[in-house]
Amino acid sequence: MRSIFTTGAAALAAATILSGSAFAESHAALSGDLVIFSDMSNPAPRAVMEGMVERFGEMHPDLNIELTIIDREAYKTQIRNFLQANPPDVANWYAGNRMLPYVEAGLFTDISDLWEEGGLTETLASTQASMTIGDGIYGVPYTYYQWGVYYREDIFEELGLEAPETWDEEIANCQAIIDSGRFCYTIGTKFLWTAGGWFDYLNMRTNGYDFHMALTNGEIPWTDDRVRATFANWQQLIDMGAFLENHQTYSWQEALPFMVNGEAAAYLMGNFAVAPMREAGLTDDQIGFYQFPQIDPSIEMAEDAPTDTFHIPSGANNVEAARAFLLFVTSAENQTLINGGDGLGQLPVNSQSSVDDDEFLSAGFEMLSQNSPGGIAQFFDRDAPAEMAQVAMQGFQTFMVDPSSLDSVLDRLEQARQRFY
Amino acid sequence: MFPTPIAKTSRTWQLTYQTLLPVAMVLWLLPLLAVMWFSIKPGADFTTGNYWGLPSSFEGFANYFLVFTGSDMPRYLWNSVMITVPTVAGAVALSCMTGFALGVYRFKGNLLIFFMFVAGNFVPFQILMVPVRDLTLDMGLYDTRIGLVLFHIAFQTGFCTLFMRNFIRALPRELIEAARVEGVSEWRIFWYVVLPLMRPAIAALAVLIFTFIWNDYFWAVVLTQSPESQPVTAGITSFNAQYRAMYHLMSAGSIVAAIPPVAMFFAMQKHFIAGLTLGAVK
Repeated sequence: MRSIFTTGAAALAAATILSGSAFAESHAALSGDLVIFSDMSNPAPRAVMEGMVERFGEMHPDLNIELTIIDREAYKTQIRNFLQANPPDVANWYAGNRMLPYVEAGLFTDISDLWEEGGLTETLASTQASMTIGDGIYGVPYTYYQWGVYYREDIFEELGLEAPETWDEEIANCQAIIDSGRFCYTIGTKFLWTAGGWFDYLNMRTNGYDFHMALTNGEIPWTDDRVRATFANWQQLIDMGAFLENHQTYSWQEALPFMVNGEAAAYLMGNFAVAPMREAGLTDDQIGFYQFPQIDPSIEMAEDAPTDTFHIPSGANNVEAARAFLLFVTSAENQTLINGGDGLGQLPVNSQSSVDDDEFLSAGFEMLSQNSPGGIAQFFDRDAPAEMAQVAMQGFQTFMVDPSSLDSVLDRLEQARQRFY
Repeated sequence: MFPTPIAKTSRTWQLTYQTLLPVAMVLWLLPLLAVMWFSIKPGADFTTGNYWGLPSSFEGFANYFLVFTGSDMPRYLWNSVMITVPTVAGAVALSCMTGFALGVYRFKGNLLIFFMFVAGNFVPFQILMVPVRDLTLDMGLYDTRIGLVLFHIAFQTGFCTLFMRNFIRALPRELIEAARVEGVSEWRIFWYVVLPLMRPAIAALAVLIFTFIWNDYFWAVVLTQSPESQPVTAGITSFNAQYRAMYHLMSAGSIVAAIPPVAMFFAMQKHFIAGLTLGAVK
């Protein structure tokens, strides 16, 4: 383990004091029942959740914690029901626009005072914006991971290329890769969302974070010229032949072999892509990571980093214990522990936590906490409402296969926008 | 006799038959063979694109070991047993009684009741999805094994009753009448006269229902969702982790899940075939 923040003793001392005071507050003998509904149903997250409950329970022996873990997909439909009918004290959900309907319906508690008291505005600064709606902060994050371009460092070296920082460099790189008989990017759009990632980045680089959020929130027509500018940049890559052929027939996993076997040089993907690449025999010397290049220098860089969260429903009975649990979850110590390689293997949200000693996690942590001034988006299908995301991502796929269909795609998306918002 | 036995056909036809048969068999079994093949490959083969080639290393033991030790598979298998066995017992027991009542007694509405059992089989079960889910939820049986068992018993009893009633109809009525003349009570007739004669039907039906229920996926997904209650057919999807699918483990898990009904089939082959054709020829 290695701390990214090298301020050393000072930061450490501050962390101890902070978490110390947080724990002191929460130690004021919690009792009663604490009901937690969680969607961390996959094996590793499940173990993490159960571990957290166990450790929190040891700190508060008088507290009776009831943990219910619900299948991650089923949870998405059940939450609508249980937040009203049978609210727990703590519930999992997602950041950004995904929590907007529940915030608007008054089902999540505003905990901005907890953020102030617990010093979270300092330690969780990188995700504060994505937890904020209007003037309120409606939950705490517990983990996230970065998106970016994973590329074959050895192929780049062979062709004498550097990781691009601007769009011109990007296009030049891509041309060189195509000339060497490879695809610049592998992608599998069979399940659509991978195309959503491309749109996120192209749109955030072309028009900025605020525009992207307004668009996914239904405030801007899809036929707007600024949206067309985004697609024009996309088309530039498509027309060059940058993307893997027949990508609509592959899942994201099935598109991996093209990169592993050197037929494609890079992959715009979340950090979870690293594990299978390593398993397939690529060494860390062969895999590189770079932030999606800048397109318009006047626009601040913003990133996709899907964030998973905890909230206190407004119907919670044991608010005191719930608040203590949220502080416990976000504490630097717990964040280091649960996001480590034997836990979630992702990025801790607390800036004073240490990141697992991993090239890509470190790079992601640095990028998100220092090089993403524009903001942090959640990913297209989390930022846009589910129905809209489905239609839109289908449109992206159609566009990638046949760019000449742009007008009809945009018309269809605009119709969908008017119907769904 | 139809069809003409192969031995009696012309030599060319025999040769064509002999060459086409293996081809058809391989074609038919291809998906299954692929799953078997995948189950001995390391996960990395799927990331390097080596789907059909030789495994880069033999991971058969490791995969199957992991299925049993590194996942909830043993629990899912146990759930399957705890769902299938009570369902078989319940459906067979109930249908023996309904079959006896409908096959032996002549009363008004006999045919109507029988038709209702049969008609139940014609209801496409997808239509029942939402009401049944709501019903189990209201009864507090959602996501429990007992909820799944009760529904399966209710739904399977229709088919089983049709089967049993027709079988009992074919039994010589003289046996029952003779017993009545002797003054044996109706319960004792059922227990000591009819039930022993129904043994082949019970065996056949039990095997048939066992495979039906074990292989059920639809209701398992609709009515259960946690490892505490899901049977193995639904549990396999737990190898679809949050971000990626573990093809090798999923394949190994599918093979493990398929073994009990296949073993059951081979062990009870005689009854199984009997069950499919029982009542077809009188």
